[in-house]
Amino acid sequence: MKRGGLVWSWFWMILGILYFFLPLLATFLFSLRAIKGVLSFKAYQNLFVTTDFVTNFSYSLVWAIFTIVVGILIFVPTAYWVRLRVPQFRTAVEFVTLLPFVIPGIVFVFGLVRTFSHPPFLIVNSPALLIAAYTVLSMPYMYRSIDTGLRAIDVQTLTEAAQSLGAGWETILFRIILPNIRVAILNGAFLSFAIVMGEYILAQYLAKPAFAPYMAYLIQQKAYEPAALAVISFALTWGCLGIIQLVGRGSQQAQIAGGH
Amino acid sequence: MTHLKLTNISKEYGGTTVVQDFNLDVEQGEFVSFLGPSGCGKTTTLRMVAGFEKPTSGTITINGQDITNIAPNQRNVGMIFQAYALFPNMTVAQNIGFGMQIHKESKGAIKERVNEMLALINLEKHANKYPFQLSGGQQQRVALARALANRPQVLLLDEPLSALDAKIRVQLRSEIRAIQKKMGITAIFVTHDQEEALSISDRIVVMYEGRIEQVGTPFEVYNFPNTRFVANFVGSLNTADAEVVDPVKGLLSMDGIHFESAEGTKDRKKGDKIKIAIRPERFGFASEQKKANVVDSTIENITFLGSVVRIQLKIGNTKFNMDTFNNPFLELPKIGAIEQVTCSREAVLVLDE
Repeated sequence: MKRGGLVWSWFWMILGILYFFLPLLATFLFSLRAIKGVLSFKAYQNLFVTTDFVTNFSYSLVWAIFTIVVGILIFVPTAYWVRLRVPQFRTAVEFVTLLPFVIPGIVFVFGLVRTFSHPPFLIVNSPALLIAAYTVLSMPYMYRSIDTGLRAIDVQTLTEAAQSLGAGWETILFRIILPNIRVAILNGAFLSFAIVMGEYILAQYLAKPAFAPYMAYLIQQKAYEPAALAVISFALTWGCLGIIQLVGRGSQQAQIAGGH
Repeated sequence: MTHLKLTNISKEYGGTTVVQDFNLDVEQGEFVSFLGPSGCGKTTTLRMVAGFEKPTSGTITINGQDITNIAPNQRNVGMIFQAYALFPNMTVAQNIGFGMQIHKESKGAIKERVNEMLALINLEKHANKYPFQLSGGQQQRVALARALANRPQVLLLDEPLSALDAKIRVQLRSEIRAIQKKMGITAIFVTHDQEEALSISDRIVVMYEGRIEQVGTPFEVYNFPNTRFVANFVGSLNTADAEVVDPVKGLLSMDGIHFESAEGTKDRKKGDKIKIAIRPERFGFASEQKKANVVDSTIENITFLGSVVRIQLKIGNTKFNMDTFNNPFLELPKIGAIEQVTCSREAVLVLDE
């Protein structure tokens, strides 16, 4: 590469890093100024003084876990079945899984409220509706991760091999397919986790306690604590992405080789 | 005694018939190969025996039991695939023991059988390795052990050697045959490789466009092909148009050059147009003693193929190949020379259309 090109590459990279990290650094530094004239973790401590943070965080954690479990239970068999039995519908199914990207969250939540707030579907207050909505929201990530995992293995031949050895559908799914796409499922799970932890509109309008609405509430009440909360939120998301990288890299070789 | 029986099997996909009127009886312990070009229906037939495809009509029985509508996991039919299909998340030993686990056999029995199978395929030292740590040949041997560990009634092999290199392929096909004989298991082997089918089978079913063209031992299929397709597909073959001159003597005329055939012309009339076939290795240079079918030929080309030398001849207006064993002391004719060549009356085959 020419020297001029290298300089420009560095310039744009540094500019990008500054663009992403400066606001974060500013937020972090601001969160440390809860005590005048001193840098401290007081704002972080304040978050844990009341039980609100832990309560709302725990709620989001529960929603995320349920979303992941429901997502795995729905999308693994669906993606598996589409690949195995109706591959001609793959494009159509992929299109459906991308719909949450194009339908605005506010439209989605008002649709849910309108549909499920009167009999025979009066479940607008049920946590099940929130989990169902989160499952739909995380669908593009979860489904596509699983589908990518399935693409790496010879689904049909493995299924037929297992069948010829006497295995039924349950055994094939849980003992052959799931273990061989575990990295893909983990990827989808962590992305879903990050989505649910940072999601605001659904929890707010379906009136359920969650991490993001709590952060929004705190912004209206306090100055430094929301900044601390934002930093925690970022750390959480990055932690998830880091784990994906770690798990993905560790199993990549075996998965690729095993797929042949 | 008939072990596997396919009766009037047909298979259609959206109005297209891919297998038609397939009838076959396979004896216990017999090794039968389905041989044919791509799209001839051999794999579809195998998959119907495995239960992965349902016949449009007809029945399949094993030991007299109708299995046509039984699910693949209830048939106790072992299958080996071209792509090995070992479970990547399981070790070699776990792969081999998987079927027995499904059938809820005791841990002791599974361990004993897995060790027995590992010894059979000479991979005892690889029991704890994962499939990706094995070579292609080793993976296919594990797949064989996995299929046999379950004591299947029939072993189905769907082009199991196609993904391997030539040397391993030859070695593994001998191993497969030896193990099949040792265990006395009935096996159906699908291949498009005629050499493979000829070398490994008790009988060969030659298929073309969804139909059986011929069923016979490798010797019968190679030496006495029933149809033009079989003659062309199995081994190399020279074919030519001819006319019946004397049906009683089996005298034929090709471009005015007379040939005698030992078979197949008595039911024809003088002047009938027929197709004759002669294998390249049945030609030889004429010696004084040979009297039948001695004809003049022009040497057009000579190709060295290692153990065999292929000589291209022109007899009348028709081109023929002649194969002769390579011999460093053999004096080959010059290109363009006219030489007398001969073949026995038995070598001249008359083909059905």
